[in-house]
Amino acid sequence: MQKVRGFPLALDRGYHPDTHMWVKLTAPGRVRIGMDSLGVEISGTLAELSLPPPGVVLTAGQPFGQLEAVKFVGPLSSPVSGTVLACNTAAAADPGLVERDPFGDGWLIEAELTGPGELDVLLSDPEEITAWYAASIVDYRSRGAIAE
Amino acid sequence: MSDVLRVIDFGRVTPLRSQTLWHAIAYGVSAGQPATVSFARPSAPYVCLGYHRDVGELDERYCREQGLPVYRRMVGGGPVYLDDRQLFFQICLPARTVSPSRRDALRALLEPAAAAFRAAGVAASLDDEGEICLGDRKICGHGAGQIEDAVLVCGNLIEAFDHQRATRVLALPDPVQRAETLRLMRRYVTATPADPAAFRAALCAAYATALALRAIPGELTGAERSMVAELDQRFTAPRWLAGPGRPARPRFRARQVKVRAGIWTFAAQTRDGARLVASVVNGTLDRVTLTAPGMNGQVEAAERALAGAPVAAAGGVLGGLGEPGRELAAALAGAGGRL
Repeated sequence: MQKVRGFPLALDRGYHPDTHMWVKLTAPGRVRIGMDSLGVEISGTLAELSLPPPGVVLTAGQPFGQLEAVKFVGPLSSPVSGTVLACNTAAAADPGLVERDPFGDGWLIEAELTGPGELDVLLSDPEEITAWYAASIVDYRSRGAIAE
Repeated sequence: MSDVLRVIDFGRVTPLRSQTLWHAIAYGVSAGQPATVSFARPSAPYVCLGYHRDVGELDERYCREQGLPVYRRMVGGGPVYLDDRQLFFQICLPARTVSPSRRDALRALLEPAAAAFRAAGVAASLDDEGEICLGDRKICGHGAGQIEDAVLVCGNLIEAFDHQRATRVLALPDPVQRAETLRLMRRYVTATPADPAAFRAALCAAYATALALRAIPGELTGAERSMVAELDQRFTAPRWLAGPGRPARPRFRARQVKVRAGIWTFAAQTRDGARLVASVVNGTLDRVTLTAPGMNGQVEAAERALAGAPVAAAGGVLGGLGEPGRELAAALAGAGGRL
């Protein structure tokens, strides 16, 4: 696990820059999806999490669940298209798990990808990921969205 | 982006429409309609659940007997009682125009509402917890959400508040917790009978200034009206009321009720019959009722030690009561912070 400007970052997976979701290949065509530490930070203290049951179809860019923090309910957008295989019931029962371990036990769902090209849109090169993360942190700090 | 702030005053509408009208606006703004501030007053009392909350938090039998409809909204917060002495407002704008930080976005969209209260003669402020208050009393309930590509924040001007009924609609099997919830609600939630017309005008002006937009009276589009009809169906469907499927939390027969930020009540009972009812005010145990069969002397001492102590210190005191005390301490430690 690396730290970029104070925020942890795992480099063994791909990232969807717009949604702050990570995607980690667990087996051919199968992935685990979660939220990165910056996405967690800008969400605030997580109070509630609703995740889809197995079998639900995921569409890239479309919501697959909802997250509530500071009385604000917002969508969790899927970074890939596929079908849900499992949701993290531990995280749904205790959303704090996502805050404590966003790259590990705080994963959100597991899915089977629609096709092999689903991962192509993600940032996957470690240098590229690190640069994007650092730039995002600078941007959010300049806008006052996260603390210095 | 349009420089218009569309203003729609729906006036007095049915309880269902007092929800579905502004949700439909969110879909409209997401599809390209301008930022919109809207107002609605429910014509009759009803109960509304935050998106993630359990129907089981309500005394459904009481609601049914009283003819109180129950609807689930698409924004956050807890179960609330609404009636025609509350004027509801909603501000809705494209998601790309607000801060990516939810806390910041919420504050930015509640500040103009606090300013509108002040303009209407109420010395309101937005406190550190993000609630609009008069002193230490909450005067405006709020919730927020993102629907498609629109962000919205809703709140209310409470002209009069029925604390008794707002507590009665909640499922609170423990009579001590019910009494404590009502006591704290009376203490920490208050009405501010400002002139609704003055408040409405001030709110439009405040949002127009904050967002650098021109407030212009408007109305729903055809697509938004169609969405209202669709939402009327959705919001009255039993499946929608049941809420998003979520695994049950290990609540250990505990029940907690948030009265306002930092103020909550808690009740829990162990399998052995040990019971704790507590009121919490800003991290301190305000009042405590403790029962544990067979431990009468110890219980009284523990009760005295707990009253006035920080919640964080409760574990040490309750732990002295053995396993039942440790179970109660664990339940209390898991409560409150994420309400």
